Amino acid sequence: MAATADKFERMMNLLAALLNAERPISAEQIQRRVAGYASEKEAFRRTFERDKDELRSLGVPIEVGPIPGTFPETEGYIVDRRTYELPDLDLAPDEIAALHLALQAVSVGGPSMEEGTTAAALWRLGGVADGTPVAEEDHLAEIPVDGRQSILFRAVLERRVCRFSYTTAGASAEREVEPWRVGYERGHWYLTGFDRNREATRNFRLDRMGVDIKIGEPNTFIGPAPEIPDTEYRPWDDGGPEQVLALVRFDSDQALWALEALGPDTLREVESDGSHLFEVPVTAWEPFRSFLLSFLDHAELLEPPELRSDLMSWLQRYAEEDSR
Amino acid sequence: MTQKLTARETLERALAIVPWIASQGGTASVDEVCRRFDLDVDQLSSCLSTVSMVGVYPYTPDALLEAFVEPDHVYVNLPEYFRRPLRLTPTQTFGLIAAGRALLSVPGADTDGPLARALTKIISISGAETAVAIDIDTAPSDILMSLQSAAAHNRQIEIEYYTFARDVWSVRVVDPWRVQSLEGNWYLEGFCHKASATRVFRVDRIRAITVLGSGFQVPAELPPLDVFPDDAALPRITLDLTPAGTWVATQYPVESSLLLDDGTTRVTLAITAGAWLQRLLLRLGDDAVVVTAGPGLEHTRARASRRVLQRYLK
Repeated sequence: MAATADKFERMMNLLAALLNAERPISAEQIQRRVAGYASEKEAFRRTFERDKDELRSLGVPIEVGPIPGTFPETEGYIVDRRTYELPDLDLAPDEIAALHLALQAVSVGGPSMEEGTTAAALWRLGGVADGTPVAEEDHLAEIPVDGRQSILFRAVLERRVCRFSYTTAGASAEREVEPWRVGYERGHWYLTGFDRNREATRNFRLDRMGVDIKIGEPNTFIGPAPEIPDTEYRPWDDGGPEQVLALVRFDSDQALWALEALGPDTLREVESDGSHLFEVPVTAWEPFRSFLLSFLDHAELLEPPELRSDLMSWLQRYAEEDSR
Repeated sequence: MTQKLTARETLERALAIVPWIASQGGTASVDEVCRRFDLDVDQLSSCLSTVSMVGVYPYTPDALLEAFVEPDHVYVNLPEYFRRPLRLTPTQTFGLIAAGRALLSVPGADTDGPLARALTKIISISGAETAVAIDIDTAPSDILMSLQSAAAHNRQIEIEYYTFARDVWSVRVVDPWRVQSLEGNWYLEGFCHKASATRVFRVDRIRAITVLGSGFQVPAELPPLDVFPDDAALPRITLDLTPAGTWVATQYPVESSLLLDDGTTRVTLAITAGAWLQRLLLRLGDDAVVVTAGPGLEHTRARASRRVLQRYLK
């Protein structure tokens, strides 16, 4: 167990040296001057690399840069106190307590959020006077995250362009996006941003992105637009440039769900029996057909006539499959 | 003997504890530090005794951190460079904002209260003003609030409920045990007197609610809420899905999933009711081929298609 204390002491010493430095310090200097490192070169290297990685994973901004006045130029390490330090947030006790309660009520969890990630955030903010944790089954809400969210969040904050493969209707394509917002709605995570390939604002579902999301250099785009459009991702609105207006009737007892899914802008009329008529812009027909049919016979496509007959012959084909 | 913290766990705490004690005038009670930073007295004293050996070259006493623990109080004296805690990582900022915004989106939340103020402060240092939007408010707010109040006060309720899987409305008397949001949907769990069993209801499919007079007892131990309880007696269906149809396997609990040589995925699902399978097969269309269908599930897609067609042929 002494090894644990030694490692902790060594990393604290390393951090102290990097924070205290006025200019980058070389690995050799670190080896000689920071207490706790081995004198053998290879052993030092390995330990130093590990310590550096561990400090970085806690968020310590270790910078690498040339040491002034060295020839040939030597790289050194430094931590800039201005980027290391948490600015004073002046959080009142009730505000810290409210954050603690929010973390207790809403579990934002998954492989990327190691246990304790957000608890440690509260420690950095000064800790909460009464920090009793709540049992998992008593959470008010659970929001699953898988690692893509915080990568994209960082890209939004630092204005880094994102590249990822994106799958719609079974086909994958590379997308290049200026990220504006990460959102969660109806059980799905979305990225809203400017799609450079399509030259338009788009919403992307995170679960349709490949796991390998590449983010570019910081501050490489201007944005976001002053008004970020709604996150609402509608699969029937993710097709090509050609758009048709579909007129659809929903039974009264199902109308609320249709309204929720289609958006209030599309509602045209409430008929005397309570049925709702919607006029929906559609660029991808098959996802829209799927959506309609999930309502079984409680929804009817009225217009345009060619899509109505397409839907009917599609159904006709399946209607006969048990008699063949 | 208490459990030892790892070097990383100790470091994470030390970088927060040490500046915090310094901000309190250099001293604080042992109790309070332990409570705030989730560690016990032994862990705290071993952490601070190590900290007291930390410094910079040439490790003269004036360059060392001072820290010592007395029975009741801890004291630190710090060099300038350890005066402030480490900033938050993007993941931590994201976690705080996501949890906070989610809670603020729940009907009845105090959007001018301490939580909103705390978030504003965190957002102000991260530049995350518009970077995260979280909405877990997917149910009619009046119904959700009535349910939460009935659950909090142990009041029985009568609900008018749409069973999506069977495509029927029913009226049920329920003892509401708890209301929770999971993966974007709100659920009510409770004892259903119509079914004489525990049931989970989607809150957005409740059309009306009446609070009745009688009270009830909530079971002492409630296991984590299970939206898809397993039932061995249910019939099964096996489907071959094209790549465009594999969302089924991520959205519903499939019992087995096998990638075949031709690129299709073979899955087996338990089917709670016929209407649910009708919806699923019509949504999938040509992206699913039925391989085997359990008792009562045969020709579901043909029947579903005829049912919908009838409306069009009227």
